[in-house]
Amino acid sequence: MSALLEVTGVTKRFAGVTAVDTVDLSVGQGEIVGLIGPNGSGKSTMVNLVTGDLMADEGTIRFRGEDITAVPAWKRARLGMARSFQMIRLFRSLTVSDNLLLAKHAGMETTLGDSLLGRAAAREEEERLRVRARELLAWFELDAFADRPVGALSIGQQRMVELARGVIADPTLFVLDEPAAGLSPPNVDRLIVLIRRMRDEFGMAILLVEHDMRVVRDLCERLVVLDSGLKLAEGAPEAVTSDPRVVEAYIGTGWKRHARG
Amino acid sequence: MKAGLSLIIAAVFIAAPFLTGGYELQVLMVALLYVTLTTGLNLVSGYAGQFSFAQGAFYGIGGYTTAIMGRDLGTGFWINLPAGIVVTGLFGLLLGIPALRLKGHFLAIVTIAFQTIVYLGLIQWSGFTGGQNGILVPPIGEVSLFGATLVDITGLTAHYWLTLVFAVVAVWIAWRLVHSRLGREWVAVKDDETLAGAVGLDTTRAKLTAFVASAAFAGAAGVLNAHVMRGVTPDDFTIWISCTIVAMMVVGGRGTFLGPIIGAILLTILPELTGSFAQYKLFLFGVLLVVIIIALPEGLVGRWRKIREARA
Repeated sequence: MSALLEVTGVTKRFAGVTAVDTVDLSVGQGEIVGLIGPNGSGKSTMVNLVTGDLMADEGTIRFRGEDITAVPAWKRARLGMARSFQMIRLFRSLTVSDNLLLAKHAGMETTLGDSLLGRAAAREEEERLRVRARELLAWFELDAFADRPVGALSIGQQRMVELARGVIADPTLFVLDEPAAGLSPPNVDRLIVLIRRMRDEFGMAILLVEHDMRVVRDLCERLVVLDSGLKLAEGAPEAVTSDPRVVEAYIGTGWKRHARG
Repeated sequence: MKAGLSLIIAAVFIAAPFLTGGYELQVLMVALLYVTLTTGLNLVSGYAGQFSFAQGAFYGIGGYTTAIMGRDLGTGFWINLPAGIVVTGLFGLLLGIPALRLKGHFLAIVTIAFQTIVYLGLIQWSGFTGGQNGILVPPIGEVSLFGATLVDITGLTAHYWLTLVFAVVAVWIAWRLVHSRLGREWVAVKDDETLAGAVGLDTTRAKLTAFVASAAFAGAAGVLNAHVMRGVTPDDFTIWISCTIVAMMVVGGRGTFLGPIIGAILLTILPELTGSFAQYKLFLFGVLLVVIIIALPEGLVGRWRKIREARA
């Protein structure tokens, strides 16, 4: 069985600096894979290569069996890939529920023309989506904020909106770029529970980039470690975190302390 | 408050022809043309966030389309109107293409260049456009159906009513666009284009449709204006017209629905009330624009909305 996401020998250079160097990465159906590494190791570049915000110089990326190496981000999203951002990104002048609806536009059955002409089918579909958005917001305990502008929410709540925005699109792969960044410890606990439930209830695979080792250890079934753009190690979390090369790469950043919890 | 303000505006414009038939009605008619122009610009600049200083050029392209068709093909207003909208929409598409690559100030410069090229084209291509003298355009005239005359649109009052209908239809269409799925995508592109792509939106389509819609509004206003004013000359469609429309939108509040409408009415009527000072109109607009951008960047309606939200 081929993996859901299969990245083979991907390389990305910026003005002579190789940010990602012939890296292989795969994510199976419904699997939670962690991508870790010290600052500047190429994690963010790797995420952007997967989502199509950056284009690979070499190598191939396959998603659901299709070669998407040259496919732009918006088309990858339509193939079933959702993402969140390291710095929270939301449509600031819109309400929470409109933010969710926009993520579902591409998958709507009625056309833009139907919507412009005010056809009943388009209105009904939009209504169904609003109901769905409300259900999801309730799932994330955000239903009280559905009609609020996203800017009125706390950082923690905005993170949840980002997650809900990804989930509403029914992705087969959800790429999470440091979802715990900026969250308070109790919120991180909640996040861990929610991400696992997202996978269990909606069946999506998750590629998780994270600094917080607690999140990575609790959630990931497999870890890929990057260092200076190269893949340093890969395997089960316990094995990887005790790998001397990984420990070496992290020395000075408090890895050992974190790893031993 | 919002509904009340809308009702007052509507009442004034409906009552006007019964109260006056002269200069005041002419001024209100011009205000209505600007309502259509500014509402159109607000689609691309206010909602989709793409700067444009070319609304005056589209206004001109609409006007010249009806003038040239009338002169060379002998067609009348009702045939030239859809033609003018289509031609202007196509030019809007053309200007939308650089917007796929450029943002902010750089895009603004390209739209200024487009505006200038259109103006120079109208002057230089004199065999086709009539050069500086422009082209005379007849009034709309009688509208007949199956041989029976329904209405005669020749005088000022009749033209006024038609302009009012145009403005109402334009505002209604804009309302539908803004509150459709497309309108939501425009705002998404304005807020964060990268994110819009990341959630699967076709940002190319969103931007181009905004440019086309915005231009089409100006095209319709241009066709009507040509007949109402009995002709077109290049000097009716300079960069100053574009700047005036931008000022109206910004003063009223870009990205708000009512703002550009109020801005268009205020900035048309206010200079007229200042008597001989009216000749310094552009100077006035310039100062006003600078003051608004510094002190009230969200415009009058935008500020009002903020105050209300803060209280809520």
